Amino acid sequence: MRVLVVDPDPARAALVAEGLAGVEPLEVRHAARFDEVEASVFAPDVIVVASDSPDRDTIESLREATAVSPRPVVMFVDRSEPGLAEAAVRAGVSAYVVDGLSAARVRSVLEVAMSRFQLMNQLRQDLDKAKADLASRKSVERAKALLMKERGLDEDQAYRLLRKLSMDTGRPLGAVAADLLAFAGVLKGDGA
Amino acid sequence: MKLRLGFIALNDAAAVIVADARGYFAAEGLEVTLSREVSWATIRDKIKVGALDGAHMLAPTALAISLGATGDEPTPLVAPFALNLNGPAITLSSRLATVVGPGATADGLARLIARRRAEGASPLTLAVVFPFSAHNYLLRDWLARAGVDPDQDVRMTIAPPSRMTELLVGGVVEGFCVTEPWDSAAVAAGAGHIAVRGSQFWPRTPDKVFAVTEAWAGAHPDALQALLRALLRAAAWADAPENRPELATLLADAAYVDADPGVIEDSLADMVFHADGASAPAPVHAAWLAAQMMRWGHIPPDVDIAGLAARVYRPDLHAQASAALGLTVVAPPQVLTGFSTQGDFRIADARRHALEAPLSRLATG
Repeated sequence: MRVLVVDPDPARAALVAEGLAGVEPLEVRHAARFDEVEASVFAPDVIVVASDSPDRDTIESLREATAVSPRPVVMFVDRSEPGLAEAAVRAGVSAYVVDGLSAARVRSVLEVAMSRFQLMNQLRQDLDKAKADLASRKSVERAKALLMKERGLDEDQAYRLLRKLSMDTGRPLGAVAADLLAFAGVLKGDGA
Repeated sequence: MKLRLGFIALNDAAAVIVADARGYFAAEGLEVTLSREVSWATIRDKIKVGALDGAHMLAPTALAISLGATGDEPTPLVAPFALNLNGPAITLSSRLATVVGPGATADGLARLIARRRAEGASPLTLAVVFPFSAHNYLLRDWLARAGVDPDQDVRMTIAPPSRMTELLVGGVVEGFCVTEPWDSAAVAAGAGHIAVRGSQFWPRTPDKVFAVTEAWAGAHPDALQALLRALLRAAAWADAPENRPELATLLADAAYVDADPGVIEDSLADMVFHADGASAPAPVHAAWLAAQMMRWGHIPPDVDIAGLAARVYRPDLHAQASAALGLTVVAPPQVLTGFSTQGDFRIADARRHALEAPLSRLATG
């Protein structure tokens, strides 16, 4: 079975391709953009498309163009199992199959693609959170240093002052620290 | 109430974008998250499964989804708001425009196509944004009036709106029909010429609607009215000439249409969002578009067009929101004049127009 993964995100596509390779004998190809000529040469049995690929409408319309395309790509997958298509939509993945492929075989491909999309989303979220945490820690360190220098506090006192500001205003420590730094910047004439 | 609304990067998403950016949704107590989508297929899928509560949608797509004509189970939709009139245009590559010559009809193009066929050249490729779009039916009607069969004499393809210029420059397509700002963007890039605007042969061209599922509308009547009030205020703001420069700047933002603000401002000139009841969904528009779908064999010949138009297009819901804002309720038009080569169009005549239109697939059986 040949599977074409169309996904503008190369990391995610690689993850999907790697996941699919474990399913059963598959030939998986990845393209950032859909190219009709390349696709017809490869002759995929299934096309897996990221829902953030602008090529989706083009791929979908190929079924309208049977006279042109020797192997038309057809139909949104899966009427056999309600809920699967919905889960796929929510995971941000859609699939098109070529006539004649059994629903069960398509399902395994779609399920792998979905799980990899979800995994990628989770990784991205974790990364974003880690970046935000790091930025927040840096702000707190810098705000502490500022307070120590300007107010003559020791490190522990500076931290407790920030904590108090955070609790009084009900805002996260990192946000309070960032505000303090921005305010100090304005007073010094930065970015004004 | 928290809502997710989808849109595609086009000028006609203006009311949705303005209602969010200017706080009209928030003023109605709605906590809206806008989700920029990159394909109509994804908008369709997300609406169907409830991953979006409402969306900017091609009017013929709303009809097709309701009928199940997009290749899946029917999902009845409700379109209580017309997001724009006018905006689609047909743009030809500069090279082709030079050969075809001036004129708002496709006669010059028809002569070129005949000549190319005689020479054994490959058919010209023309792009639209989605099969079920006003653009597909505008381009088909324009070609058919000049005797060009869109399924035989040219190659019709589908491409995303924002890629049209690049496809024209690359010679992948020779022309396209898309809504602004993507026609003006191609002109500004020196890649193409606007051959004709939709408004020149379908005056006050129907194009996009705001759509929700019938089930959602039934379950959330108050939220729907709140949405419509916010959209009405947004459309009125967007239509005011004094606000157009600010509208262009807003739309140009990378989070929205992501195009040059000067190009967007120019390309808005022809577009109507509010004036003369423009945002009230006119069932006669739905019937006209459904007649085009039937003409080309895209929906079965036995579809009850009047019933479909009445079920999907809901001017009553729009009127309720207008009245709540103290706006004058303008009754939608009953007759479309200047659209059809077969004379005035009324809902009751839909099937006859589908049958008698040039190159109708109904006529050939």
